[in-house]
Amino acid sequence: MYRVAAWVVALTAAAVTVAIVRADPGDSVAGESALALTAEVAAGLLLVAAALAARLETWLRVLLAASGIAWLIAEWNSPGAGAAFSVGLVLYAAWPAVLAHAALRYADRSLGWPERALLAVAYAGSLLLLGAGTAVFFDPVEQGCLDCPANRLLLSSHPEAVHDLGRAGLLVAGVWAAAFVALALFRLARASWTRRRVEIPVLVPVAVAVAVFGARALHGRERGFLSNDPTDRAYVAAEVAALVLVAAGVVWARVRARRMRAELTRLVVDLGQSPPPGGLRDQLADAFGDPSLDILHAQTGGTWIDGTGRPADLDGHSDQQVTRLLAGGRPVSAVLHRPGLFEEPAMAAELADAARLALEHERLNALRRAHLESLRASRGRIVATADAERRSLERDLHDGAQQRLATLAIAIRLARRQLAREDQGLDAELGAAEDGLRVALAELRELAHGLIPAVLAHEGLKPAVEALAERWPRLVVGDLPAGRFAAPVESAAYFLVAETLRRSGDGDVAVTARRADGRLLVQLRGATGIAVSTTDLEDRVGAVGGTLDATEGTLCAELPCGF
Amino acid sequence: MRILIADDEALLRDGLARLLEDAGFEVVGRCGDADALLRMVDARLPDVAVVDIRMPPNNTDDGLVAAQEIRRRHSRIGVLVLSHHLEAHYAMRLLEEVPERAGYLLKERVSDVAVLADALRRIGEGECVVDPTIVSRLVARQRARGPLDELTEREREVLALIAEGLSNTAIGERMYLSPKTIEAHISQIFMKLDLLPAADQHRRVLAVLAYLRGS
Repeated sequence: MYRVAAWVVALTAAAVTVAIVRADPGDSVAGESALALTAEVAAGLLLVAAALAARLETWLRVLLAASGIAWLIAEWNSPGAGAAFSVGLVLYAAWPAVLAHAALRYADRSLGWPERALLAVAYAGSLLLLGAGTAVFFDPVEQGCLDCPANRLLLSSHPEAVHDLGRAGLLVAGVWAAAFVALALFRLARASWTRRRVEIPVLVPVAVAVAVFGARALHGRERGFLSNDPTDRAYVAAEVAALVLVAAGVVWARVRARRMRAELTRLVVDLGQSPPPGGLRDQLADAFGDPSLDILHAQTGGTWIDGTGRPADLDGHSDQQVTRLLAGGRPVSAVLHRPGLFEEPAMAAELADAARLALEHERLNALRRAHLESLRASRGRIVATADAERRSLERDLHDGAQQRLATLAIAIRLARRQLAREDQGLDAELGAAEDGLRVALAELRELAHGLIPAVLAHEGLKPAVEALAERWPRLVVGDLPAGRFAAPVESAAYFLVAETLRRSGDGDVAVTARRADGRLLVQLRGATGIAVSTTDLEDRVGAVGGTLDATEGTLCAELPCGF
Repeated sequence: MRILIADDEALLRDGLARLLEDAGFEVVGRCGDADALLRMVDARLPDVAVVDIRMPPNNTDDGLVAAQEIRRRHSRIGVLVLSHHLEAHYAMRLLEEVPERAGYLLKERVSDVAVLADALRRIGEGECVVDPTIVSRLVARQRARGPLDELTEREREVLALIAEGLSNTAIGERMYLSPKTIEAHISQIFMKLDLLPAADQHRRVLAVLAYLRGS
């Protein structure tokens, strides 16, 4: 809707300008030349068109369109202006200030005090000194413009005030134009590479237009007003060229954004073909040409994970910039990137638009993976705790009960030696007690061993499984790796063998194991019944991140060595 | 015989010492951890050290490690390790390096003074002794093919009894066979296990070792 309104205003202004120039070409800036007039009007309309076409925030759009319309109004202070004459008197010098304002806002949404001060001076010089200030004292008839329309703003005629205000206004215009050029160059010199790439196409032509206007103002300072002598006309031609370049620069940013969008759209299509975990990172790094680019996702509790679900540090990258992507006001993902990559507003907007689905897809996948990992770790901790309990119980049995009973057996034997000759019956009873103690010791040993064999913790998997073969003659021990593994891995493999033996039938069970590619592979082959009810074994193997494959007669476990 | 006792349980240590003294052994020292054991052995040079496998400082297999160290330092000093562990692996570790004058008995035998005294004497004579419970478990064990497969059932039985530390005469009595027959079996065993004629005592120990290895 506002586009239509803007076009109506712009086209009306353009029509009025054409009419004014046609009515009195001699007093216009464009002059008799149709080409000059066309170029002049085209420059203004192109600015409006660029403002409406580009992805800009509203105020910037308004400012840019306004500068185009103000440019058209510059012709309205001519005798041929008719009813528009008074408006032209006030606004004919407004366009450089509005254009400078638009450019500064384009470069940086929030203006600092130097920019604000500069714009205040520019607006004051253009609208008050050259515009309204002059208009209230300018009597066209008294100043010799007999065919000028009536000045409806005239309060009282003061030709000298008009002259002085004009001179002052033109001086101020020259000064602020110079200051603006300096400020623009300073900004560009300090900006990052990406930032500069964004700002140059707009800021440089604006600076040129403003500089030419400043030069033209200083050129007209002696006579006290902007005129249309050949030098003025040359300057205006330069201004027209600069304004066309401004419009082109604004549109160029739009084209670049479209290209980025096309790139990102392709990216979304690529991601549609089930990308590998963390694949989005590579795709975006390609699309934005930043190999250091990384994507992290927020977990509840303020921690961050990468695309594969592994914990990652958001603050650990001092040479990178962090752009947080928000949903419902909370950061859900973050992009780590080369400083300045997203300073171009369109880039971040395009990323958010085009890659939203892909990002969300990856984020949910990463969260799911992290969640699974934390579940697995928790299961691992539960098993590790249970194993630690078993070990501690085994130690307590060994150092406590077993030692105590052995001591007791010796004490009985000592007592028997003293009593033997005196009381045969008592000796027999003590002998029976001693036998009972021996049985108790053997049973305790079995109990302690069943909890968790000391040989597993002290000597490792191979001796522990070989010891199982001493206990279970049905176990046929094949090749086993001699080295040590992490305790939870050794326990898992050991209990897999021991439990399979315990619950399988009468037939032989053959065990082999080997280390391959950082994994411990355990294979059990045996008679029927070997693979029945393996849920608890799967749990134990799964707790260390391994897998158990049970088929009739065979059990294969794959355990990561370095758990 | 001069005996040294190392066990972290003071009551057991003292009771064992009294039992051995009653049986005619001379107990020349008692200690409760592996470091003290090594120092005491160096200072008092006993004939045999009786060592609990699990002792401070680590309470894992410190006694076994100390026993191996004693065997390395003093070839004439025997070691008898007492253990709650049935696994042949521990016995192997003790016997593998220097099999002579070493023994491995389950702790529940400590009150059986006859067994203990017999084991100590055999160790003193240069043999090695392995607890019969462990040996009987090894008999049943299945193993990969090796020289032991060459032995007949009877020969394997004889070898098991040798491992338990029995003399030829005792083996003959146990199996109701004449000493001559036993000797014939034993020379067959030595031949099949590829043990060349050397000191007879040494060959017996090597045969036991081959048996423990299971191949």
